[in-house]
Amino acid sequence: MKTLIVIPAFNEAENLTKLLPLLIDAVSYDIVVVNDASFDGTAEVVTGLGLQCLTLPLQLGAWGATQTGIRYAQRMNYDLVITMDADGQHLPREVEKLMDLYVNSQADVVIGTFPSRLSRLKKLAWNFFKLLTHIKIEDLTSGFRLYDKRAIKVLSSRQASMLDYQDVGVLLLLLGAGLTIKEVPVKMHDRSDGKSRVFSSWLVVLKYMVQTTTLCIANIGKRTAK
Amino acid sequence: MTNITILIIGALLSISILYLVRRGKMHGPYATWWLLVAVCAIVLSIFPQIIDWAAAQVGITYPPTLLLVLSVSLILVRMLTMDMALTQKERKIRRLTQKMAILEESQKNRLEP
Repeated sequence: MKTLIVIPAFNEAENLTKLLPLLIDAVSYDIVVVNDASFDGTAEVVTGLGLQCLTLPLQLGAWGATQTGIRYAQRMNYDLVITMDADGQHLPREVEKLMDLYVNSQADVVIGTFPSRLSRLKKLAWNFFKLLTHIKIEDLTSGFRLYDKRAIKVLSSRQASMLDYQDVGVLLLLLGAGLTIKEVPVKMHDRSDGKSRVFSSWLVVLKYMVQTTTLCIANIGKRTAK
Repeated sequence: MTNITILIIGALLSISILYLVRRGKMHGPYATWWLLVAVCAIVLSIFPQIIDWAAAQVGITYPPTLLLVLSVSLILVRMLTMDMALTQKERKIRRLTQKMAILEESQKNRLEP
């Protein structure tokens, strides 16, 4: 199966220098880095290793960058997309775990989760969103995911372009399309550079909570298959 | 006196709109909307009885209330459609940006086989 690994990156030259060689050794899939208008030489690092680098002329944020990779996969007729964070949080050797579960189950989407990384506050937030939406998934924000062809189609759509984060909105869209989502526990590394993008400051958290809550409430009553 | 003020505002608004269209700074649906607003202002300043009559029809005893409620509602509707248009624009910009990055990469691949 033609598989593409998509790595969205904003100013991740340092982390990618470490991650990409490991990833190239660990897997035989094609790799594409989506450079979200970085200004630190991310593109040079990627092309220096002989990998594809899609450079966005305007900054679109993590989901906008990820979707670029997914649209690229659709255009190039890939069967599977695996998304990974550029900061080294997701381990290259864990990719096979996603793949194994995909092969052994009927799932359209496989999410690599690491539940113990969740702080109490995050768990509270997740439970709140799960209450609002009936999503039965442990880790809502994990960016370590595998999407099959049907999911790629859904996520390439114009509708998916208006999402801001790769989390609840994406899951709701996938569930609404009747796709099945499975989870597999994986090992994750602590972020090399420390901080979570989503949970970086209180103001950002507030903005995220309000936007996501609005999204959840707006989706109440939509069909949500398990 | 109030009527004359509103007439002047309406007239100035129409002239401004026509000027903006002429200079290419406003187009199509936007210009139509604002011209309509200007025309309404002019008509109401010449025939203020319209408001009294309309208020009586819907059972409002103090006619200016009708005018104010109507104008505020229309402003809200307009703002809502503006944000919808902005969302539409944002979507187009995002997809265009993505497409550009994808096309740029495939172009590069074609140039250096």
